[in-house]
Amino acid sequence: MARTKGYPEALDKKLREQRFFREDSNPEFTKNVKAISRTIAHMCYQCGTCTGSCPSAPRSSYRIRKFMRRAVLGLENEALTDPDLWLCTTCYSCSDRCPRDIIPTDVIMSMRNLAFKRDIVPVNFLKTVTAIYASGHGVPNNDVNRAAREKLGLTRDPPTTHMYPEYMPGIRKIIDHYKLKAEADRIIKEREG
Amino acid sequence: MSEAGINHKFAFYLGCIAPNRYPGVESASIKAMKKLGVELVPLKGASCCPAPGAFGSIDLAVFYAMAARNLVLAEQMKMDIALVCNGCYKSIWEVNHKLKHNKDLRDAVNEVLKEVDMEYKGTINVYHTAELLYNDKFIGVDKVRDSVTNPLTGARIAVHYGCHLVKPHKDREFEKEVMLNTECPTWMEELVSALGATPVEYRNKMQCCGAGGGVRGYDIVHALDITNEKLINLKEEKVDALTDICPFCQLQFDRGQIEIQEKFGQTYNLPVLHFAELLGLAQGMSPQDLGLDLHGISCEPFLQKVL
Repeated sequence: MARTKGYPEALDKKLREQRFFREDSNPEFTKNVKAISRTIAHMCYQCGTCTGSCPSAPRSSYRIRKFMRRAVLGLENEALTDPDLWLCTTCYSCSDRCPRDIIPTDVIMSMRNLAFKRDIVPVNFLKTVTAIYASGHGVPNNDVNRAAREKLGLTRDPPTTHMYPEYMPGIRKIIDHYKLKAEADRIIKEREG
Repeated sequence: MSEAGINHKFAFYLGCIAPNRYPGVESASIKAMKKLGVELVPLKGASCCPAPGAFGSIDLAVFYAMAARNLVLAEQMKMDIALVCNGCYKSIWEVNHKLKHNKDLRDAVNEVLKEVDMEYKGTINVYHTAELLYNDKFIGVDKVRDSVTNPLTGARIAVHYGCHLVKPHKDREFEKEVMLNTECPTWMEELVSALGATPVEYRNKMQCCGAGGGVRGYDIVHALDITNEKLINLKEEKVDALTDICPFCQLQFDRGQIEIQEKFGQTYNLPVLHFAELLGLAQGMSPQDLGLDLHGISCEPFLQKVL
């Protein structure tokens, strides 16, 4: 594919030659973040508009700008082991305002995906997976709600996988294709016994 | 026009929180939209969208495949999707958009869907009901105004837009350009006015509710602190109710107020209603028909004002 400036080969060369990686930086991390997030994470020039727009920043040590820098420098361990990684509410305010047209929120999402591959993940995220595997819903129905639905003239269970459980094997097949349920079960068991 | 008065039909994608926590949103949407010439047909066998924050954070590849399955169900019905939740919009609309425009993603998803005898074709579109209400190609503000039999006169109502319907705006493709303004949009306020109520602006209107991205599950106090900031700003304007277009935001503001009372000792008693519930009220549905008694925060003070 012809690109006028010769990316990404020229960029790769530049990254190799300029030696702005630290000893603990992993150039693969920068590439993986870019591939999963599908945004131009390496173009960040650290203006800080993202952190300035972030609702999580004023009430925690979470700084999205820091994660953007880690993405550029390939600081994999520093990024993935920082518990603040999980404080992004994915509101996309940073992404709306980024002057470089980067989507920092998707950079965070890609880092979370990469963290999960190393078993770094809060249990509540895994429990959403197991809930969906069990019933098709992240927030399933209950008896109080079934009675309420009936009063409103609705079916006791909504016409989703709840009313048509015959759709569940297909859903489980998709999740099992990626071995996601097995992985979630294993990590939950390791944490909670 | 196949049936009398019905101009459009959509596969109604329910998600989780609307049908399983605020079923009034589901029944109000079906009834109110029907009065406006839009029929919402059940999307049988749909699952969680899946949750863009909690599920997407784990593995986006699985997230795409799971959302694609829901899209294929609607493709098989040959119907566009309508939904009532910003989170679902993020999953269903955005995955549809990504798969339509990225062959590599589409191929990867179809390889998995083949195992369950499905194929994503990219033949349908996805809409939020708020968008259908606002866009005169489908309904439009005038038609909404004409359908009102019980105007919510005198009620001061603030809007919480939420995040994932409108943001990130550079990826969105609304036909109505005003919906691409995410700094200070007013199109929802137009809809609130159409119901006879007074829309109220407040500080930092576009701030997130705090629940998304799995943060509600990961650090509830952090999530509630964001919610609390919004509630402080709303209290300043002495609003009678807050309206939203996302059941997850609604859960965070409604049940969240009870949690804020327990954890921070602050009380607001601010009624929180999905716009579908407001529309139902304005079209003459009773609070019982809307299941408003299921809300964590009593809607009574607001109802006394408008009924």
